[in-house]
This record gives sequence, structure tokens and C-alpha cells, in this order.
Amino acid sequence: MNPNNNISQELLETIERYYNDSMSTDERHLFVEKLESNPEFKTQVEDIKILFLGIETQSLKEQLDEFHKDIPKATSKIRFLQFTKYAVAAVVVISLGSYWFFGKPSNQKLYAKYFTPDPGLPTTMSSSLNFEFYDAMVNYKHGDYELAISKWEKLQINKPNNDTINYFLGVAQLANKNELKAIPYLKSTIQKPESVFLNDAHYYLGLAYLKEGNIERARKHLDLSNTDVGQELISKLTD
Amino acid sequence: MGKSLKLLNQSELVYAIKSNDSNILKHFYTTNYKKIETLILKNSGSIDYAKDIYQDAFIAVWTHVKNDKFVPKNDTALQAYLYTIAKNKWMDYLRSNDFKKISSASKLRHFEPADDFSEKTNDDKLKTERLHKIMHTFKNLGEPCKSLLTKFYFEKKSMKDIADEFLLDAASTRNKKYRCMQKLRELALKIE
Repeated sequence: MNPNNNISQELLETIERYYNDSMSTDERHLFVEKLESNPEFKTQVEDIKILFLGIETQSLKEQLDEFHKDIPKATSKIRFLQFTKYAVAAVVVISLGSYWFFGKPSNQKLYAKYFTPDPGLPTTMSSSLNFEFYDAMVNYKHGDYELAISKWEKLQINKPNNDTINYFLGVAQLANKNELKAIPYLKSTIQKPESVFLNDAHYYLGLAYLKEGNIERARKHLDLSNTDVGQELISKLTD
Repeated sequence: MGKSLKLLNQSELVYAIKSNDSNILKHFYTTNYKKIETLILKNSGSIDYAKDIYQDAFIAVWTHVKNDKFVPKNDTALQAYLYTIAKNKWMDYLRSNDFKKISSASKLRHFEPADDFSEKTNDDKLKTERLHKIMHTFKNLGEPCKSLLTKFYFEKKSMKDIADEFLLDAASTRNKKYRCMQKLRELALKIE
């Protein structure tokens, strides 16, 4: 490849569209035709595509180290074998102590175990319908719950009864550790029995009540969620 | 949709991998690690090796899914694929000279990742080399180019959002992105 052979901004952006699959059928058709008939163009495109891949791979690599910190630490069996019995004894003493101290932490633990944010709706780069809604969805998917909430809240003012917006506001609030704000949104979603989010809304509402400490309501909504995980969780709840 | 990430089906996972959805990638990463750690610990490895091998395997799976080299056929195909790749990488490493040289597996943390990108032909080999150069250059690219390119190409954020974050208007952000790409390209070509 020739380093002096600069690639124009226009060409870069065209290749981006190709790579992201956001070309119109016509544009794609012409592009592919050129790729097949012009080897020099093909090399240029390959050169840029590998840059995209390099950026993505390196970014992922750096993110993996962050992910890794959140893997629950288990003591290594090999090194700590001889300490195991002392560790077990200590854990028993500590947990008895903290049970006595803090009451019943187990439902909170159950919450932590069962709560994972809703994966969200697919966002395609070319979709222009409901741009604001999907724009917030991208923030939501990247874990930027506050930004997503602020964008959806603006939409919700004009559409207070929209079950999709209410549902995602609810799960985003819950993911943002704000179960008290999540509850009203999820409640408003379940007002619509025809909503595709009905079962999920009941499930997350159950989790929100569990987090809040209202076991009776948690049980009720988990049951209404009609899901296996809901039932599984109910069987583990302690009053 | 919904319920729990546990119930995500494979096509949702494929979609998440292709769009770098960090919630789901993280879930996929953290839930599959332990099995591989156990395998490596039981076979003369350490926790550090387990992490390196697992991350290499994870990146390989991600790349293969992205390029449609691997298409899952049943409900646990991706998880099984990840396990198999990690296992093969570890076996390759155990058979390698690097491992034989050090009797007490202690120091060596850098070993060549075994054919992540199935480098069978010379052409593939060259591509892998180029990719590693670009990754290395990008790692040290410096700010704000690095963040800008990460947000656009990896996080798939919109130009408008990125412009807002950088307190720029959309046109200058677009332009800056272009110049950052030029810089990355030139620097990557320099390392020979």
C-alpha cells in the first residue's frame, strides 16, 4: 500500500456505510460492482476495512480487562487448600454475625442475582423512524442510563401512555439503581394488557418491589410475569 | 427480548456481538470464564494464563462472528465454540516450545496467539500482521483521536452524540474523525 495515496473523506465515509451495512440497495449494488471490476479500488477498500477492524479489536481488548474485574473472585483451590477450613469457619462466623446485625440480606442478594438489564431493542444505523427513541436506546445499551432516561423522559411528556417508552424508562431507572422511580413507569406499562412488554414489565416490577423490600407485591408480579425465571425466583423468596 | 440475559437466544447474541453491545458482551464474557479457568488450572496453568487464553479466544469468537465465519446452529453453540477455541489455544500452548522451556510455569506471559484469524495462506498472515500493527498504533494513538474513533467505530455512537460530547459541531467532528483516521493510517504504515 502506498502511504502517499491519500483516501478522501468521501471515500472513507462511503466505505463506512458499506461496512455498517447502511447503504441503499442501489448504492450497494454500484459499490459491489466497482469492487469486482476494479482491483485497485478493492485494495483501497480492504485497507480501510482493516483499519476499522483494528480499532474495534483494540477497543474490545481494552474493554475485556474491565469486564474481567467483574468476574466473581473464587479462591484458587490449589494455593488455598489448606486455608479452606479456616476460611469456612470464618465465613460462618462472619455471616452469622452479619445476619444478626443486618437482618435478612438474602432477598437483596436474590435481587442482585436475578437482575440483569433488559437487552433493549435492536437499533439499526439507517433507521430514521423514531430517531430520538432509538438514539436513547443506544445510550441505554452502552450503560449510560442517565442520558437515556433524560431523552426518554422528554418523549414521555408527549406520549404519557406509550407502553414502550414507559417500559424502557422503568427498566433504565431500575438499572440505574432507582427502583422507586422505576415502579410508576412499569405500573403504567402493565395497564395495557395487549402490550408486548406485559410479561417483562411484570417481571421487572416484581424485581423492583423485591429491591424495595415489599415481598408480597414482588411475589404477585413475578407470578403475573408468566415466566420460568419468575417462578424460580418466587420459590427462593423468604418472607 | 427481555426477561433475563440467560434466555438470550443465539441470534440476539450474534446481533449484540456485531453491534458491540457492552451489556451483553460483558454478560457473555463473565458467564463463560469460569469453565475455562477450571480447565486451565487443572492442566498445569495459572490464573494469569487462564485470563490471557480466554481473552484471546473471546476476541477470536467475536471476530469470527463479525465476519460471518461462524454461524451458531443450536442454543449453546457460541458458548461451546468459545470453550473449544480456548481449549485448543491452551493445548497448542502446552505443546509449544515456550512452555517446554520453562518447567515452572511462572514468568512468561506473552506468547504468540495461535491462529486467531486462521492464517493459513501468506495473504492471511500478512493481514494478521497488519491488523496487529494497527491495533498497536491505535493503542498508543493519543487523545482525543483515540476516544473519538472508539466512540464512532466501536461504540457505534452517532456523529451528533459524539459532537455533543466533544463540544463541537457535527461538521468539525466529521472532519476531525477523518484527520484522526489519516493519522492512524500513516502511523500504522510507519512501523515496519
